[in-house]
Amino acid sequence: MMLIRQVFAALAVVGLATTGLPAVAGEYMEPPFLAEQVTAGTLPAITDRLPDSPMVVTFQGDYQTGEYGGDLRMIMAKQKDIRMMMVYGYGRLVGYDANLNLVPDILASIDVEENRIFTMHLRSDHRWSDGEPFTSEAFRYYWEDVANDETTSPVGPPKALLLDGEAPTVDIIDDVTVRYSWSKPNPFFLPALAGARPLFIYRAGHYLKQFHARYADADELQQRVDEAKTKDWAGLHHRKDHQYRFDNPDLPVLQPWRNVTWPPSERFVFERNPYYHRVDEAGHQLPYIDRLVISVANNKLIPAKTGFGDSDLQARYIRFDNYTFLKENEKTNGFGTRLWNTVRGSQIALFPNLNAADDGWRGLVRDVRFRRALSLAIDRTQINQVIFFGLAREGNNTVLQESPLFKPEYQSSWATLDVDQANALLDDMGLTKRDDRGVRLMADGRPIDIVVETAGESTEETDVLELIQDDWRKISIELFIKPSQREVFRNRVFAGSSVMSVWSGIINGVPTAAMSPGELAPTEQMHLQWSKWGKFYETSGQSGLAIEMDIVQELADLNEAWRVASDGAEREGIWHRMLKIHSEQTFTIGIVNGVPQPVVVNNSLRNVPATGIWNWDPGAYFGIYRPDSFWYTEDRR
Amino acid sequence: MFRYIIHRLLVMIPTLLVISLIVFVIIQLPPGDYLDTMINEMISTGEEPDWEYIEFLRAQYGFDKPIIEQYAHWLFGMLHGDLGFSFEYRLPVSEVVGDRLLLTFMISYVTMVFTWLIAFPIGLYTATHQYSWGDYGLTFIGFIGLATPNFLLALVLLYFARVIFGTEIGGLMDAEFIGQDWSWAKAVSVLEHLWIPVIVIGTAGTAGMIRRLRANMLDELEKQYVVTGRAKGLPPLRLLLKYPFRVALNFFIADIGSMLPAIISGEALVAVVLSLPTTGPMMVSSLQSQDMYLAGSFLMFLATLTVVGVLMSDLALAMLDPRIRLQGGASR
Repeated sequence: MMLIRQVFAALAVVGLATTGLPAVAGEYMEPPFLAEQVTAGTLPAITDRLPDSPMVVTFQGDYQTGEYGGDLRMIMAKQKDIRMMMVYGYGRLVGYDANLNLVPDILASIDVEENRIFTMHLRSDHRWSDGEPFTSEAFRYYWEDVANDETTSPVGPPKALLLDGEAPTVDIIDDVTVRYSWSKPNPFFLPALAGARPLFIYRAGHYLKQFHARYADADELQQRVDEAKTKDWAGLHHRKDHQYRFDNPDLPVLQPWRNVTWPPSERFVFERNPYYHRVDEAGHQLPYIDRLVISVANNKLIPAKTGFGDSDLQARYIRFDNYTFLKENEKTNGFGTRLWNTVRGSQIALFPNLNAADDGWRGLVRDVRFRRALSLAIDRTQINQVIFFGLAREGNNTVLQESPLFKPEYQSSWATLDVDQANALLDDMGLTKRDDRGVRLMADGRPIDIVVETAGESTEETDVLELIQDDWRKISIELFIKPSQREVFRNRVFAGSSVMSVWSGIINGVPTAAMSPGELAPTEQMHLQWSKWGKFYETSGQSGLAIEMDIVQELADLNEAWRVASDGAEREGIWHRMLKIHSEQTFTIGIVNGVPQPVVVNNSLRNVPATGIWNWDPGAYFGIYRPDSFWYTEDRR
Repeated sequence: MFRYIIHRLLVMIPTLLVISLIVFVIIQLPPGDYLDTMINEMISTGEEPDWEYIEFLRAQYGFDKPIIEQYAHWLFGMLHGDLGFSFEYRLPVSEVVGDRLLLTFMISYVTMVFTWLIAFPIGLYTATHQYSWGDYGLTFIGFIGLATPNFLLALVLLYFARVIFGTEIGGLMDAEFIGQDWSWAKAVSVLEHLWIPVIVIGTAGTAGMIRRLRANMLDELEKQYVVTGRAKGLPPLRLLLKYPFRVALNFFIADIGSMLPAIISGEALVAVVLSLPTTGPMMVSSLQSQDMYLAGSFLMFLATLTVVGVLMSDLALAMLDPRIRLQGGASR
């Protein structure tokens, strides 16, 4: 039996640590922002708003206890980007901490038995942002009236809850205890709860019942449906209930800030949730910052606006090539530009198509010597210096050094410049004949002119490809760049019409052993190096092709083994085996990773890490660094 | 005259029907639908789409139905004043567009007045002082206005407005006033922002209008009735405004037809660059994301305004210029 609570011991060394110690009631400080309402009697006092045992956050090192107050201004490009506040706010049943360990957050604790029985303990007297109690009823409403209701969920519970098609058994044990269990180990459940876009297995039933046919008066409900112009009541229920979109100010939430602006608008204000469950040691209820103010502006204007100091915390819609402009304006406009790391396995990677339709080409790219030669011939240092100012890290498309699974050889094997060895490998394959341009010939006499297809979306890709073009001439292989439109590009790869394509590498470069290694095995059609095998897996053999290479089959088997693995050590072993296969086989040719993401931070803002990872999942962008713990110095309160 | 108007109004009905069909077909032409655009956008930012929910939406929005049925549904709704539903905003179209119309009208009217105030005096001056230094100088400036890409001018002005006056970049008011009730401070803030789009959108229009007015005036100034008037001792300014200027205005009246739709969609490009809360950028983005009912409503609205505008300018021309007769299509 694994207790997630045990993780706390490991957390003590971390900057942002959390403990389960209850603070003594009565020592809490009322936020001035809410004081008026409390005095007027429209809001209960802070001790009555907090759960019986709130989560107490402690700060260490560079991180300090803050003070209440201030508005945090941010800029988004679209109205629907306000969903990022659900991502940044990062109130989750269980969530990742800054070191990517899973820890309880909204939950007081969670007991995991045999990796298949999950018993969740809520905080007693925890309340929604509207003051109503948050109890196991929220879980019951979700499971019975949303997930298993034929009208609201015609296809049944979401796939993320199904394990090989098997739905969980959900037991509501008492007011504060809920149990999810499966017959087999389910390694996907906790990461799904902690996701940037989490699996919401609770609902604000007390609010939503007015939109549910089982509870609401039929006539009133019909009237509401007509007003909202939805097809039926389920459509209305969905619209009112979309926690992730964060566009319904009436919907109670458990996040640090709640939306108070009805769309459509060009400016959204989020106010502190008076019932939020986290406090600091000094007795402040988090968040420190009273309001988030989101303005909507054209995405091309966002770097400029940020450079002129119109945003206090901005990374979204800012690209690496804005870095110099931002640096230039730092002093005059009072902000700092920090460089965080992106976590793609490779910023740009080449994908030899192992499912190429052409026999000659397919034979070539399936030969590991060919793939290794192509990788060895690339001068990654030059690309790094020329395109990324030397700030990226050179190497394979693999996990990053921020991941606990990282080993230097995964990054470097067959990825250091060695033209002689590359030439030797190609000669060894028998590709010794050359045409009058000096380009090597395939066995059937055709020249090895590799056409690399791009989705034509970024000049960065073509810039890198042009540098690789020069490198490959040294091993007598010619490269041509073919840009097309994204849909066309994908369809050509899926059909096997292309020999090689370029795209970004592994999406999550900072996995832990507890996260699925699915990206390393053929599990998706979107894996451009083996899209047909991926499709075969996705459709359970309905379409696509069965795997035809033993070593790839081994990856698929390892992925299956990971799913049923019973403990962490076994999972870790599987991960390392898969990463090793990838680094030796060079299924994808990575170039550089860890390309920095500029993060603009107002000089008065505290507790924002100097470095961090900028990632969707795990990471939730700012989420794992807990924006509710950011605070302002006096001048901005 | 009355019969003519009725006839024109009746012809509008089939015209608009045909336009609605074309609009709908064109919006549907690109592969995929709004949900596909949404999925692509999410994948490209590394976000995992919620597949079950997307299937649910597909059924809710009727994307699983045949195109003909979708068209009929849309048309039927529009005839009842129901513009449909915007997928992007998840709100009825009328609610999405509502707030923006006022600001759009305001910018367009101010710009129009700005254009006239500048263009008419300059046009008259350059025509009466043809080939003088003044003519060359003003023509030169006019051509620069015509030739400078609007969006470039917009960016340059934005930059200087920020550096010199500290005006917030983009938008039509300082952020704190958005969504607030109108107040003196809000109006001042709007005025601070308004001059940039007015100048940017105005310059191109001004330059064009100066040239057309100048050319028309030059035609008229040589005519005998002007010479006669001058010979009979009419004061020069009165002569100018009362006779040749009125004749030269024909082009201006004929322009009304295109002016009406321009109020709504006018200078969408500049509005996108300046990130103005007007209808132009909304129309562009709705077309990009295949938010079909929102895009369709915009295009139909524009089509209706164009048809009505053309009728209005025809009628106005007939009233203002006695030389124009209605014998053409109407009586045959």
